[in-house]
Amino acid sequence: MSQPDLGLAEGVDHQVAMVMDLNKCIGCQTCTVGCKTTWTEGDGRDYMYWNNVETRPGDGYPRDWESAGGGWTSEERSKRQHGQIPSMAEYGEPWKFNYEEALKNDDGPLRPEDRTAEWGPNWDEDQGAGKHPNSYYFYLPRICNHCTHPTCVEACPRKALYKREEDGVVLVDQDRCRGYRYCVEGCPYKKVYYNAVSGTSEKCIFCYPRIEGEGPDEAVRAPVCAEECTTQLRLVGYLDDRDGPIYKLVEQYEVALPLHPEYETAPNVYYVPPFAPPQIDPEGETTDFERIPRPYLEDLFGEQVHDALDTLEREREKVKRGGDSEIMDILTSKNPAQQYRLEVFEG
Amino acid sequence: MSERRVIIAVGLLSIALVVGAVGLPTVASGRPANQIPVTHLPGEGDALAGPDSGAWTDVESVEVPLSSAPSGLPNAADVSTDSVTVQAARTDSTLYVRLHWEDPSRNASAAGPRQFTDGVAMQLPAESGTHPAIALGSQSTPVNVWYWNARSGTEEIVAGGPGTITSVDSTVTSEATYDDAGWTVVLARDLTVDGETRTQFEMQHDVDAAFAVWNGGNDERSGHHAVSSWYHYPLGPEPSGPPFATVLWTVAGIVIVAIVLITTYAVRRT
Repeated sequence: MSQPDLGLAEGVDHQVAMVMDLNKCIGCQTCTVGCKTTWTEGDGRDYMYWNNVETRPGDGYPRDWESAGGGWTSEERSKRQHGQIPSMAEYGEPWKFNYEEALKNDDGPLRPEDRTAEWGPNWDEDQGAGKHPNSYYFYLPRICNHCTHPTCVEACPRKALYKREEDGVVLVDQDRCRGYRYCVEGCPYKKVYYNAVSGTSEKCIFCYPRIEGEGPDEAVRAPVCAEECTTQLRLVGYLDDRDGPIYKLVEQYEVALPLHPEYETAPNVYYVPPFAPPQIDPEGETTDFERIPRPYLEDLFGEQVHDALDTLEREREKVKRGGDSEIMDILTSKNPAQQYRLEVFEG
Repeated sequence: MSERRVIIAVGLLSIALVVGAVGLPTVASGRPANQIPVTHLPGEGDALAGPDSGAWTDVESVEVPLSSAPSGLPNAADVSTDSVTVQAARTDSTLYVRLHWEDPSRNASAAGPRQFTDGVAMQLPAESGTHPAIALGSQSTPVNVWYWNARSGTEEIVAGGPGTITSVDSTVTSEATYDDAGWTVVLARDLTVDGETRTQFEMQHDVDAAFAVWNGGNDERSGHHAVSSWYHYPLGPEPSGPPFATVLWTVAGIVIVAIVLITTYAVRRT
């Protein structure tokens, strides 16, 4: 069988990648908190969520980021789409809660101290879409996609952003960055953030010290967002590790898809698209109609979402009938060594 | 017309030509194009440091036109500053450059993700007497930039082409004032300093200088800014400008008079 061309970025030896199974996400934000407490507490980082979990359908974080431009204009990648920097209001101004009042003095409900806020991350949490009894929503965890063709890197006039040769992680060289924010404009996923205290831009670093073995216990560890996940929905490894879960789900079985492939940045975070219970009719009977409209999923994950969902459906049925499915084995594995394959290219 | 009157008329015309040739350049322009005079004011150092100081009243000013810089950056052609008024003075040890430009909004904070700050810069050849490329020089002819930003103050930069700016230990000082008409900033630095990549003003060469202004309110930053062409400070030992031009024009005037007289003589002989 011929091996597909993985199209790794020029000058990159291996590409680290992540698969997130959206069918497992319960929106608990443990990944968000794990990331925040590890990397973005204080010092100009209050508003940043390198990892966020947004409700879909919904406006996301920052608000309406899908309308803010960035990315490439075509698959030739010869021209970049002009992007915008989200406003602080679109990110959501951080606020403090009245813990003292509400919890110690039992004086009213817990609420923001400054009640003028009109938007924030998860402001539209669980609202979703559709009408009862066929309303629907799902959660979408997002980190930097560490793209193969990152427009944040292309946008920087100082070449302060770069893809690491050893694993394709996209980083901002804090010594070179002068806070111009062309990267913030250029990223179509709006996953680069400006730190007004340091005067530089910052972003998800794929927890590179952890994958280099400098995490807790000096062991090689997956990123915090993956290891902390209560439902263990994230698989971490290398796209070009042909025996690993990423390669198999993305390249071999094609059930894990990039978010907004039309931005043409070639993300290296992939999603197993969500199933939902079927719609029910006015009499309360189950119908054959899917609750999450396919066009909506197609908007997010491209045309391949149909084949991916069909494959997943087929594999689920196979397992229900007592058969074996490598896809389902990978997606339900509880063995950390299989979930996180990070030591395959040592030396 | 009698022959005598023709000779008188030609003589008067010749005198007018010589006087005009000698005097006109001096009256029309006190300095060559793209020159910024540096007034020597020993003992005025403290006063010159202040943007609003009366010491600047008698220092000649040059209005330097600005336009957008060629750049691949988004909106690079959209700049809002048309010119910067430059004055230069020196003591025996320090160069002072006063820069004034119009800017209706004071942008001194980058506290929000969409906020950018006002700034100004003077670009000099890192090696005085060389003539680097206008866009931050090149690897072989680097530049030394004195940069002032409304948020963070002064910085001294060296660069060898676009995308290569590097901050170096700076001794440039600045004072800035803002009113509704715009910013006035005085940049000052010792004429001679330590550091190979920093411009030395040794009074042995004219020194090129170019200027840039960023309007933070127009989202200007990096190469998205209004820039000038090269100007120069006449700091070499040789007299330049008006005396040199006067000699040239005098010679030209004498030649013209001689031609007229010879022609008249020749006409009379035939």
